[in-house]
This record gives sequence, structure tokens and C-alpha cells, in this order.
Amino acid sequence: MTDQEIDDILQTAAGSPREVSAQLLERIAGSIAPSLRPVQPFPPNWVLSGALGLIAGAVALLGAARAGFQGFEALGLLSRVLILSALALFIWVAARRAVDEWTPGSRRRLSTGGLVAAFSVAVAIVFALLFDDYRTESFFAAGLTCLSTGVLHAVPAALIGWWVLRRGCALDSVSAGLAVGALAGLAGLAVLELHCANFEALHVLVWHTLVVPVSAAFGALIGWALRPTAR
Amino acid sequence: MARYQAGDLTAARCLIDRVSPQLHRFLDAHSATRADTDDTLQETWLRIHRVRHTYRPGEPLLPWIYAIARRVRIDHYRKAMRATVRELPLEDLPDATAAAPAAFGHTEDLEQLLAPLSASQREVLEMLKVAGMSLEEVARATSCSVGSVKQKVHRAYETLRRTMSARELKNNHSGALP
Repeated sequence: MTDQEIDDILQTAAGSPREVSAQLLERIAGSIAPSLRPVQPFPPNWVLSGALGLIAGAVALLGAARAGFQGFEALGLLSRVLILSALALFIWVAARRAVDEWTPGSRRRLSTGGLVAAFSVAVAIVFALLFDDYRTESFFAAGLTCLSTGVLHAVPAALIGWWVLRRGCALDSVSAGLAVGALAGLAGLAVLELHCANFEALHVLVWHTLVVPVSAAFGALIGWALRPTAR
Repeated sequence: MARYQAGDLTAARCLIDRVSPQLHRFLDAHSATRADTDDTLQETWLRIHRVRHTYRPGEPLLPWIYAIARRVRIDHYRKAMRATVRELPLEDLPDATAAAPAAFGHTEDLEQLLAPLSASQREVLEMLKVAGMSLEEVARATSCSVGSVKQKVHRAYETLRRTMSARELKNNHSGALP
């Protein structure tokens, strides 16, 4: 049996569109009529993505200004350029995905979970290329401090990001939370790269990279708790 | 849609009249009765109305509508499942699902054909064959990539080919018997 034959069978079975009762159509039109007012369409994707990117950048700069720019000052020129340009690119991609999550019918090439995994791997690769000091001192104590600093700075980025997107419509709240969490996590990671002067490869690879998936997981958890069917 | 966003009731009515028939059929797949489907259709339009500002003029409209309808259908289905789990079965109630196909015409045939498929494969084929959407539009409506949609269609066709061939073989055998 060929695809064309299956196509024909399906088309025949589908038949013509079903009649919907005029009363039902009238009832639907009647239910929306009282609240029918002109609305301002959602801003273009690039405007919202740009706003989210700027928010993430501002949170990173303010956070580092408060904590100190020791990490940035200790980095070489090549490392500064590579790390900051990679973070800027990831923040832009994450911001676009967050806007897509709040806009029904948007185009996707990769799932949001896949994107978070890709960010984590890409960040780890950049760090693995730039840091080669594999000694470890106070791995857990220093690591947990950095992880909590990164995640705490992700909170304001996530809250402001959510405020910017509040007019949108997140159809899948878990996925939307994951996207905003990842964006906020990247802002938290940027704070660490500007502030933390601990260049031990394992510290940066494990604890700095973890900020992104941990923040994304928190975002997904909040999205899951706020999903419409949970209420 | 742009006129609907501008507050034009005639445009809103026109859109409802044109899209509702295919939307009704799409929502019907997980509903027990026609009344249930009618309620879901109304709920879908109310949700569309609430978030109509999220449609950007110039973008394809059907994926936007179907993405919302799909979410309403999922929410409705989950709520129904929870209610079913909580409620005790009443044996004396009339079987509403048994009465539905007769009133629904072609749906029974299509439902029967698509029955061996998984929910996601069925959904993709419904959008392609019933709503007449393109692969790109289905990908947008289901929040996945075009490649993923193609893969689902390919697998669905494989399953349908197997099922239909088996049915054909069975019919031939029973026809050959004296």
C-alpha cells in the first residue's frame, strides 16, 4: 500500500468540515461581544528579546558591581572576549526562546529542555578550553558559595523577565519556566564570571556551569506549580 | 484577525464561523459527547479572545489558533481524567459515548482509522488531513520542529500501512472461503 493510497483513504474518511450549530456559534460570538475592545498586538520578538537581554546584562553588571569585578580583572584578554561573547550569544538565544514560549504558534527547532542542555554543554566546553589548572582547594565550600551566588542573582533577572512577558500567553508553563530560568541562570553565570577569581578548572566547570541548569530547573518547578490544571 | 484585534465584532463573527467547524472536529477526538466538544469549543474561543493580542499580524493564523486549542484540549482532558478518578461509576447512566458516533457522521471512520496510532501521531495527522495545515504550520502549533513532525507522520503511515494491509489480507481470506 502506497503513501498516496493511505492519503486518499484518510481524506475520504475526514470528509467535509462538520456543521456546527448556528446556536453554538451565536453563543460563542455573544460571549465575547461584551469584552470586545481594541487590543495592542504583542511587540515583535526582537523587541522583547532585546529587552530581556538588556535585563540579563544589567543584572550581571549590577551584581558584579556590588560584589566586585575581581574575576574580570584577573582574566586575560582572550578569555574575557571568549567568555563574554559566548554568554551574550547564549543570553540572546535564551531570550528569544523565552519570548517564543510566551507566544502561541511560534517556530521551534529544538525543545527548551534540549536548549538548556545545549547551553550547559557549550558553557562547559568554553570553560574546558580556557581553564587548565586542575588543582582543587575547598572544592565544595567554594563551589557552593559560587552556586548560591549565581542562583540568587538569577532570581531578580527571572522576576523582571516574567514582568516583561506578563502580557504573553505561556501555553506550557513548565517549558516557559524552564526558558526564563535558563535565561536568568545565564545572568547569574555572568555575575560569577565577572566576580569570581577562582580559576581552578574543576570549580569553574562544575559549579559555575551548574548555575544554568539549576536555575532552569527552579523555573520549571515554579511553572509546574503554577500550571492551570494545578489550580 | 487584525480587524478582530481592532475590536470589529463582524470580523470576530466571521472568524468564528469559518474556523469553528474544523476546530470542532479537532477537539472532538478526546471528547466523550458532542455537548462536551461544544463546551470545549466555546472554552477555546474564550481563551483565544483573552489572548488575542498575542497574535502578531503577518504570522500564520492557524498554528496560533491550533496551539491554543491544543492546550485547551489537554487541560480539558486532564480535568476530565481527574474527575473520572474521583467519581464513582454509575451503572444506570445512559452511555453517552455509544450514542455519539451516529450523530457525528464521518468522525467514526476517521477515528477508527487513526485508533492504532499514538496520541501525538493522531494529532499531527488530524491537523494535516482534517485542518489542511502544512508541516511548518503543524510544527508551530505543536511546539516542535518540522523534522519531528515529519518523523511522526512517517511512523504513523508505517503503522497505518501495516494495519490496513492486515485488514485487507483478512478481508481477502474471508472472501475466498466457500
